[in-house]
Amino acid sequence: MHGEYKMPGGKLVVADLEVSNGNLSRVRISGDFFLEPDTALTLIDVALSGLPATADGEELAAAVRAMLGPHVGMYGVSPESIAVAVQRALEAPP
Amino acid sequence: MSRTDWNEHAWRLIHDAPQPPALHMAIDEVLTDEVAARRRPPTLRVWEWSSSCVVIGRFQSLRNEIDPDGASRHGIEVVRRISGGGAMFIEPGNTITYSLYAPDTLVAGMGFQESYEFMDRWVIDALHGLGIDAWYQPLNDITSPSGKIAGAAQTRRGGAVLHHVTMAYDIDTTKMLEVLRIGREKLSDKVTQSAAKRVDPLRSQTGLPRPEIINRMIETFRSAHGLARHRLLPHERERAVALAATKFASAAWTGIVP
Repeated sequence: MHGEYKMPGGKLVVADLEVSNGNLSRVRISGDFFLEPDTALTLIDVALSGLPATADGEELAAAVRAMLGPHVGMYGVSPESIAVAVQRALEAPP
Repeated sequence: MSRTDWNEHAWRLIHDAPQPPALHMAIDEVLTDEVAARRRPPTLRVWEWSSSCVVIGRFQSLRNEIDPDGASRHGIEVVRRISGGGAMFIEPGNTITYSLYAPDTLVAGMGFQESYEFMDRWVIDALHGLGIDAWYQPLNDITSPSGKIAGAAQTRRGGAVLHHVTMAYDIDTTKMLEVLRIGREKLSDKVTQSAAKRVDPLRSQTGLPRPEIINRMIETFRSAHGLARHRLLPHERERAVALAATKFASAAWTGIVP
């Protein structure tokens, strides 16, 4: 499943994922945003994988925020915009 | 960390013969690390390309960004750089690309937006000198009343900041759109209604040959901050050639975000 969200005043955030047994799996976030350090991208994917597909936007964003902690730099992207991209992927027709 | 000024550094200029795309990616990584280790003075590098390519950002999905049939039909290689940001479509002579490698003290205490603007202030001055009413457009663009001119990307590694920019000199938009997938969501942005209208290149805006624009930019930098001619040192080139082969030309790196 695939979802895209252009963060207002930010960059494009893309989510590609699958749902298996009601949980998010194989989550891959991508886009033309900026992250410091670059290894944070993998942490975002890990934070989201395994969450219930019924999680709401705040729960998705909180999982990303908790995994990244305060020292990851985000420019043009945010936990909230990642959550929207994931929700759009979940709503996308199969 | 206290901030340093441009003029506290002895800036060097590297403007070499055309290089292949993967080697350019590798030179960026090597020179950023050399400046981080304080083995090399801060450097401005102007790129010359020996072949066409698309350079995708560190966090972009290869599959989502590139049309593989279009790329192979036009003989376009795809490489991934170490900084974030969007895809750039490169044909030799069609862009002006440069990198700044600086100690991170130059941007100490600055947020992302401030440091982008700061690193390109000299370019805005150079464009004004060429008669273009250009300005920095957050998050990472240089633009003008008639359209976008350039996109910037930054990354910080060790004690250094890499800031690199690709400016459109001339552009084959039709070919670009056959190689890049530009999604509807991206084009939903109000200012980017049409991909073909997004970019207004320097050639049409200045009527000047590309080398002349590059010379004017270099002179603007030189008179503002000082700049001495330099070259890629043998050990730097050796490391970059190895890194180009092992990392930047590898499917593992290019497909790191599949």
